[in-house]
Amino acid sequence: MESLAARITRREEVAPYHYALELDCPSVAHEASPGQFVHVRVSGTDDPLLRRPISIMLRDNYRGRIEILVRAVGRGTAILSNLAPGSALDIIGPLGHGFPVPDEDCTALLVAGGVGVAPLVFLADTLQLAEQHHYVRGLLGAASEEMLVCWQDFAGRCEAFQAATEDGSAGTRGLVTELVPEQLSRGVDVVYTCGPRPMMARVAELCAEQGIPCYASLEQFMGCGVGACLGCVIPTRLQPRHRRVCKDGPVFDAAQVAWEELIER
Amino acid sequence: MTPDLSTRVSTVQFKNPVLAASGTFGYGEEYAEFYDLSVLGGVIVKGTTLEPREGNPPPRVAETPAGMLNAIGLQNPGIDVVLAEKLPFLARFDTQIIVNISGRTVDEYVELARRLDAAPAVAAVEVNVSCPNVEMGGMQFGVDAALTRDLVQAVRGATALPLFVKLSPNVTDIVAMGKAAVEGGADALCVVNTLLGMAIDVERRRPLLANVTGGLSGPAIRPVAVRMVWRLARELTAPIIGSGGIMCARDALEFILAGACAVAVGTANFVDPRAALKVAEGLRDFCVGHGISRLADLVGALETG
Repeated sequence: MESLAARITRREEVAPYHYALELDCPSVAHEASPGQFVHVRVSGTDDPLLRRPISIMLRDNYRGRIEILVRAVGRGTAILSNLAPGSALDIIGPLGHGFPVPDEDCTALLVAGGVGVAPLVFLADTLQLAEQHHYVRGLLGAASEEMLVCWQDFAGRCEAFQAATEDGSAGTRGLVTELVPEQLSRGVDVVYTCGPRPMMARVAELCAEQGIPCYASLEQFMGCGVGACLGCVIPTRLQPRHRRVCKDGPVFDAAQVAWEELIER
Repeated sequence: MTPDLSTRVSTVQFKNPVLAASGTFGYGEEYAEFYDLSVLGGVIVKGTTLEPREGNPPPRVAETPAGMLNAIGLQNPGIDVVLAEKLPFLARFDTQIIVNISGRTVDEYVELARRLDAAPAVAAVEVNVSCPNVEMGGMQFGVDAALTRDLVQAVRGATALPLFVKLSPNVTDIVAMGKAAVEGGADALCVVNTLLGMAIDVERRRPLLANVTGGLSGPAIRPVAVRMVWRLARELTAPIIGSGGIMCARDALEFILAGACAVAVGTANFVDPRAALKVAEGLRDFCVGHGISRLADLVGALETG
């Protein structure tokens, strides 16, 4: 594996302080699977120092490109989201273990919150392109309509799609997790989720009650991104209990995550 | 002309002075996917304890200006697994293996050293008296000269392997600590471990690290580390392995000119997985560019006139 210079081929503001960047990086596009991430260096200087892990939202293997979704919340992601097309970005990837994709026809429920939609767009795309006949249902939650980031990209890859907003400006008013029980009652083989931790914890709880397998993509402050520094661990019910988001994850079997400890912080 | 980059620390011969710093390089497995570790002078493996440790709760790392805080808390699989599974992997490479050991008590350090003494492929032991992120042991020893001396003396009695003692910068007088380690029987000093620090999320009124405090590393601490190496090199004859925010060959040269005969690259590995390799290549290029035939001639060659 090597770090490589990926040229930014497109930059689009897709929601307030959310930017989609398209990167030209054939090797990453070729190898990536849904749920994996790239570790991005935001500046060539010592400050900000560390790379930023960013989920892959889509890949175009034919053109050798990937798309990443950046939520500009801090200095590093602000710099990243302001890079102009044509700039080169130092990335490492694809990294981590992504979503396990079923090898038999299945009905999958994908539950996304906010920027967590990114890896689930890639997953929905992969499920649709698979040789099996998967039935994909998507749920997306956000604070308001304008924060339903990339909802068309997601909905367009789902057979059924519902949105929820906290202010009721689009879709159902309330939390996206309130839509999950009805979906599960209609028969679901597997659930995939990515979003705020309390959201994923609730989805995991609902799945556990019904014995439905659930996979969650987690985020954590990260150091090396390749498994060496043990900086990005999360608490699990496994032994040893701390598992690396960068290497063992970012996707975990939701039943193995110690959610009560995770959402405390 | 191919410059001679080799260096000797106590009885350990290194092909070049660039080592991977403990805690930033695991047991080499992850970085071996990026390059052949045989290009490194040595690898100092992750802090190892007698029993497996689960480490501190997350979040364990936070970014700070030109640096980072960490509070991993010595998560490691324990000496048995390290000996049986981790070191055999690393031994496949033509590089010196140094095992960093940490304990809650003197007896634990002694037992670790005894176990390593019988292990094949270990070139030296790095005695960690400077981990800032554990409640017992670690830095407790390294901020007290008498405790440092007694600990090193006890470990000295348990192994014939060269002992490198990794010092904490969180002291008033680094020379006193270095002297104590040498009196105890240290063959070399590793200078320095991380500086204690903390960072706060003002919106949430919470520390960024679950452990509240952590160890600061990266370019931010380099001037502090260079000065400590320089002070120790002037006062003591023990060889020094310098570390603290080395990102490139020129940074490594600062430590070498200040008196370090080898350097350890740490946080830079996170920024660029090939950082340690690039430091080694950069040192060679510097020697070629400056007509220096032996890099060792630069050790302590600082002019302060």
